Formats: sequence, structure tokens, C-alpha cells
Amino acid sequence: MPDVHSLVNEFVIKLKKRQIEGSKTTAKLTAELLRSFISQLRLPHSNQAGALIDAVKEVGEKLITAKPVELAVGNVVRRVLHIIREEDLSITNAAVGGLNLASESDDDDGNDEYDHPVLSASAVAAAARNALRPPSLQTLLDDIPHAAATPHTSSSGDDSEGKSKSADSLRRKLKHDVIEAVNELIQEISTCHEQIAEQAVEHIHHNEVILTLGSSQTVKEFLLAAKEKNRSFRVFVAEGAPRYQGHAFAKELASRGLQTTVITDSAVFAMISHVNMVIVGAHAVMANGGVIAPVGLNMVALAAKRHAVPFVVLSGVHKLCPLYPHNPEVLLNELKSPSELLDFGEFSDCLDFGSGSGSPLIHVVNPAFDYVPPDLVSLFITDTGGHNPSYIYRLIADFYSPDDLVVQRKSAS
Amino acid sequence: MWYRSASFILDKQEQQRKDAAESRPLSLVSTAMTENPGANVSMYYETRAAHHGVVTSDWLAQAQAAVAGNADDAAVENNASGGEEKGKKFSVVDEFNNWRKQPELAEAVAAIRALASVIRSSQAKTMMELEIELKKASDSLKSWDTTSISLTAGCDIFMRYVTRTSALDREDFGSAKSRLLERAEKFGEISYKARRIIAMLSQDFIFDGCTILVHGFSRVVLEALRTAAENKKLFRVLCTEGRPDRSGLRVSNELAKLDVPVKLLIDSAVAYSMDEVDMVLVGADGVVESGGIINMMGTYQIALVAKAMNKPMYVAAESYKFARLYPLDQKDMAPALRPIDFGVPIPSKVEVERSARDYTPPQYLTLLFTDLGVLTPSVVSDELIQLYL
Repeated sequence: MPDVHSLVNEFVIKLKKRQIEGSKTTAKLTAELLRSFISQLRLPHSNQAGALIDAVKEVGEKLITAKPVELAVGNVVRRVLHIIREEDLSITNAAVGGLNLASESDDDDGNDEYDHPVLSASAVAAAARNALRPPSLQTLLDDIPHAAATPHTSSSGDDSEGKSKSADSLRRKLKHDVIEAVNELIQEISTCHEQIAEQAVEHIHHNEVILTLGSSQTVKEFLLAAKEKNRSFRVFVAEGAPRYQGHAFAKELASRGLQTTVITDSAVFAMISHVNMVIVGAHAVMANGGVIAPVGLNMVALAAKRHAVPFVVLSGVHKLCPLYPHNPEVLLNELKSPSELLDFGEFSDCLDFGSGSGSPLIHVVNPAFDYVPPDLVSLFITDTGGHNPSYIYRLIADFYSPDDLVVQRKSAS
Repeated sequence: MWYRSASFILDKQEQQRKDAAESRPLSLVSTAMTENPGANVSMYYETRAAHHGVVTSDWLAQAQAAVAGNADDAAVENNASGGEEKGKKFSVVDEFNNWRKQPELAEAVAAIRALASVIRSSQAKTMMELEIELKKASDSLKSWDTTSISLTAGCDIFMRYVTRTSALDREDFGSAKSRLLERAEKFGEISYKARRIIAMLSQDFIFDGCTILVHGFSRVVLEALRTAAENKKLFRVLCTEGRPDRSGLRVSNELAKLDVPVKLLIDSAVAYSMDEVDMVLVGADGVVESGGIINMMGTYQIALVAKAMNKPMYVAAESYKFARLYPLDQKDMAPALRPIDFGVPIPSKVEVERSARDYTPPQYLTLLFTDLGVLTPSVVSDELIQLYL
């Protein structure tokens, strides 16, 4: 047990020191950490799901506060919480159905069994399913009465022996199922590039000109997958100041046989009329369809909109964040070291805090991210397929529970 | 080639000449409502103005007269139709009006309370009978005021809930009836809770040093601003006058009590002031299937200006205001007319645009704050589909 806590602390420190870069790596490491955490957790006899959720929330809160700008951490934590709730729900359904069916086992008539108990079980399941989905108009007038029905039916089962046996198997089953599901999640995160790249052929056609900025693993695999299918196209790569990752990216594409052109970021607007499509990666996708992307992409998106060029964003599902951005340019941005712009030696006299009024005359700001509003994005390509920005809320409802939006250990409800 | 002919003007002039020959011209347009209150004037907007506007006493007297006249009409109508339900029908509409007059109560809550009174006074012995009674009462309420969206939506949601509960459970009638009653009474709490949730959700979007433009008197919006002020947020509010209700005066009153800096604008000054605004925040009388909203006259105008100047527009609306309407243009809704007092007599030949509301299409709205969470306009139709499937 102390082993895992030290792992958690190590991870937190790495996050704080920015030693872990990239949302995919972060997501994978977070998922693996949570998996080890859950596997060593000892669960009480009753209400395992609640205890599990509380424990995960506690760890999750720690992880999120270590690096709030890295939204992938929060996404994975919320995914795991959603998994726990879902697994618990499916187990309860099976258990309730099993209990009631078992109580009528001496009844010879098969039809009778499915009539009465299944009705109440399905009512309970429907109620619990409603609780899992976000609050909706349908359930507006519903309230506690349905939740009260759940313990009632479970206690109306047979003798105590049967109950404790099923409770035991329940306990082991929940943890087992959750860990299996988390493994699937890790698998999904690892293979997101392949899933996205599979769709490349549908979107890239012959003799097209693609524009991208900087370097993105997802975009690279996407373009190479289309190349494999013998599509001939050209790529314009904007260099992506101040890190100039576009240079290395262009080199790699050229080494694989793609016709590449390198341009400066400022030249994007000039070249956009020669381009058929813009394909970029993202750091995170918000619930309204807005994108947190490497700096410079807002400019590219505006240029694309101006010239009616489709702006396609590739992102794995683990980058999907259920939060709505308010003031994302400030709150969801990271200011990196100004040394990437100006070397520490240059302008040292202007950057001196000791001169004049006590504050330097030159400020150097190096934001890492840009916010691209949803109306500038034409299409999102995720591992589940292509989607409109206005459809993102649906994906979020599939992968996250509304109760987990605020990851905080609730001391009092 | 198609081109407009001036015939519609000529036809109009002919019509006017005919009218002038037949009846006495009216000097003040507002007295037109005595003929047929249901068709010409929207009781919903009258009542809202009574709640929120700066009310003149004679205007209020007119409103009261119209209400009394309508209730009598309904009673007469039901007597003519016969049957022993007439007593209940009369009480439904009457009950509803009583509830509606309370300024803090939402429209849908008043409707559901009225339906609850139907359940209470019902003699039905089975769920089916009760459902039929409720359906009749709900239909009569809806037809009494066709312009109120919350009323229709409230009735629909309650009827939906009733049909769903009766289908699912096999418990005995008495307990089912009492549960329906209990949920109906609770709806008032739900509505209040909804306002609290919306206020909480909008807190993140109100940042220190922001300027908010507010239009119309919405209790939800006020709650949100009140919560922000209580959380010691520093913000400024620009508030439109809101002719003809002059709802802005009431809003500025309330905000001044909270020590929030308020600036009043006449409705025409919105574009002039839009560049200093950070966001527009309005309530809604109804949210339609496309994700657009129906709100007090002037909202569409403000939305257009905000879009042109790239300012976000947020709508605060409870989820029971979602309605199954899909207006294709401004005139595609049931007309809701209101008397407008210009202060001076207007010649009878001059027409007055008396519509009290307009429709704002979804592309001008950024986000909706509802008790179901923060939604983009496209989520609304999804929610409606789920409810009405």
C-alpha cells in the first residue's frame, strides 16, 4: 500500500516539474497509475462502488491540482470514475435479476419468472440508468422515490446465506471488472493514432494540398496512412515558432516520400489560398467544441475560415474534456520560458528589474497554447469517427458522468 | 420576373377607408383589447409586465378587467358545454391565474400547481380517468393563453410525467395519486433549485472586471447576478430600458440594491455601447427546438449586434422552458400582442407593431445555462427528442 502512495507522489512531482510532456503520455501514465491504485485498494463489504469512487476522487484531485493545464489527467480520472459507475450498474442489474430469478427457481412455469420480477428489476435498472445519465427533462419531476426502491428489492431476496454469497462475488467482481475496463482504456489510448489514421483515406484525395503547423504525432500517422494507400498529395508545413518543430516534421515527411514545403507562420495567410485542407492536432478539446491547440493555430483557423478551407482537427478521445471554457486564453494556457524567444544574454539591460521604476521595460511572453473557438472548426476526427463540433457534447455524455465534473472528495453532500 | 407590386398598399388604403366608414376610429390603440382579449392581447406578457414593469394604475386596472373578463368567458363557455367537469375547468383557469399573480412564481410552476389542484379535487377512481381529466384541464389551460410557452411546456412535462408513472408502476391508485400530488407540489422547489443551479453555473463566466449587458427582466438572470455580487465579484451591468414594459428600470432598481454598478441605456443605444460590453446575458420565455430562444422584443436585435461585434451571448433558462416549437421566421409564432402607450394619442390610421416577443435563431447564441448543465444550442433538440420519444 505505501508503494502505491509513493508512486502517486512521484507522479505528482513529475507533473509539477513538467517532466511529462504530451497529452497521450500523460493520459497513459495516469491510467496506469490509477489501475495500480485500484488493484491494491481494499474495499469494504457494502457500497464498494461508493468507496472506490471516493478513493479515486481523492487521488484524482491530487493529480489534477498538480498540473491543471494538463487536461488529459482530469479526463482520465473522470473516465475511470465513469467506468466504476457503469460497472457497478451492470453488476447491480445482473445481481437483482439473478436474485429475483433465484427466488422463483422452484416455479416450473418459465414464463411466470420473467413476468413479475423482471418488471421491477427493469424499473430499478431504468431508474439507475437515469441516475447515470446527465439530468434531463425526462427525469425533471423524478426524485428520490426511485432510488428508495433499489434497496427494497435487493432485501426482498431470499435467505441471508444466498445474499452474502452474492455480495462476496459482487465485491470481487466489481474490482475485477473495473480493472479490466481500465486496461481497455489504456489500450484505447495507446492505439488512438492507428484508429484515427485508418480514416485518412476518406478525407485525403489525389492531388490535394494539405497545410499543417508544427509537429504532431497524430497528423504524421494520418498523412503517412494516406500515403500508404497511394494517394499523391503535397504538404505545407508551417514551422511553428518558437520551437520550430515544423522543420523536423517536414524532414520526416520528406524522408517517407511526401512532397513537402516549409513556410513561416506569418506566411500562412499568404499561402492559404493554395491549400485544399488544413489538418492539425490538438492539446485538448472542450465540451463546446473549442480546441486548445499549439500556439499559432488560431491564426491558421481564422485564415482557413476566411478562405473557406476546411479546418480538420485530429484528436484521440482521451483529449476530450467535459468542461466548458471560460476565458481559456488565460486560464488554460501555459507560459513557457521566454528563453525560447530571446536568449538570456540579449536585451539583458532592458529586462533588468533594477532599472527605473522597478519593472523591466521589455516583457517577453511565450504562451504555449491557443484557443480555437468551435465555429472555426469544420470537423473533428476521433477514434470513433468524424464529428461536427456541435456533436462533442454527445461524446462527452457517452464517456463521462455528470457527477464527476467537479473532482472533489465530497465531505458533505 | 418577379417584383413586388404596390397593390398591398392600395388594398390597405381601401380597407382603411371601409373601416372608417363603418366604425368609430379609436384614438388610443390600447383600448382595442376589450373586444376579444384572448386573440389580441397576450395575457402572459401582461402579467409579466405587471410583475416586473413600472406599472401605472390605470394600466393595471385594464389588465385586471381583462383577466376577470376572460375568467367569466371561460365559465360561460364551460356552462354551455355542459357536463359536471365545468366546475373544475373554471377552477383550473382561475386557480392558475391566482398562482400566476405571485411575482416570484415561475409560470410553469403556476400551471403545475393548477393541475395539482385538479388532481386534488378529482373524483376519479382509476389512473386512466385521472389522466383524461388532467388532459382536459391541461388543454383548457393551454388554449386559454396560447402565447405562454412556459405554460404549455409546464403542462406538457406534467402530463408526460403522469403518463410515464402510470405506465410503469402497478401500485394502487391512492398512493399513485398522492405521489403525483407530492411531485406537483415539489415542482415549485425544483424550479427554485433550477434557478440556484443556473446561478452557480454562470459564476465561472462572470469574471472580475467584466461588463454584462442585460435585456428584459428575468428572475434567473437576476439570481445569477445576485450570486456573483454575493461572491464579491467586481462587475458592471449595462441594462436596456426595455420599452414598453420599462423592465430595465426594475432591473436597475434591484441591482442598485446589491451595490452593483448599473448603467441604463435606451434600447437604441445598444450598438453604441456594445464595444465596451464583454458578454450579453438574457433570460428566455421559451427555448425552441432549433436551440433558439423566444424572449422579450429587442433580444434578436441585441443578438445581431453582439454577433457583429463578436461578443458572446449567454441565455439563462430553466429546462422546463424547452418547447416543441420550430419557428422559421419572426412571424411564425402565435401572435402575442401588447398595448403600447406612446404617451400621446396616435391617429387611428397609424399602425403600431404590438408584438411583445421575438425569436432569436441559435447561431447568435453562444451557450445556454440551464439546470441540466451548460449546453450549446444544438443540445436542446437532443433533450427534446429524449423527452418526447
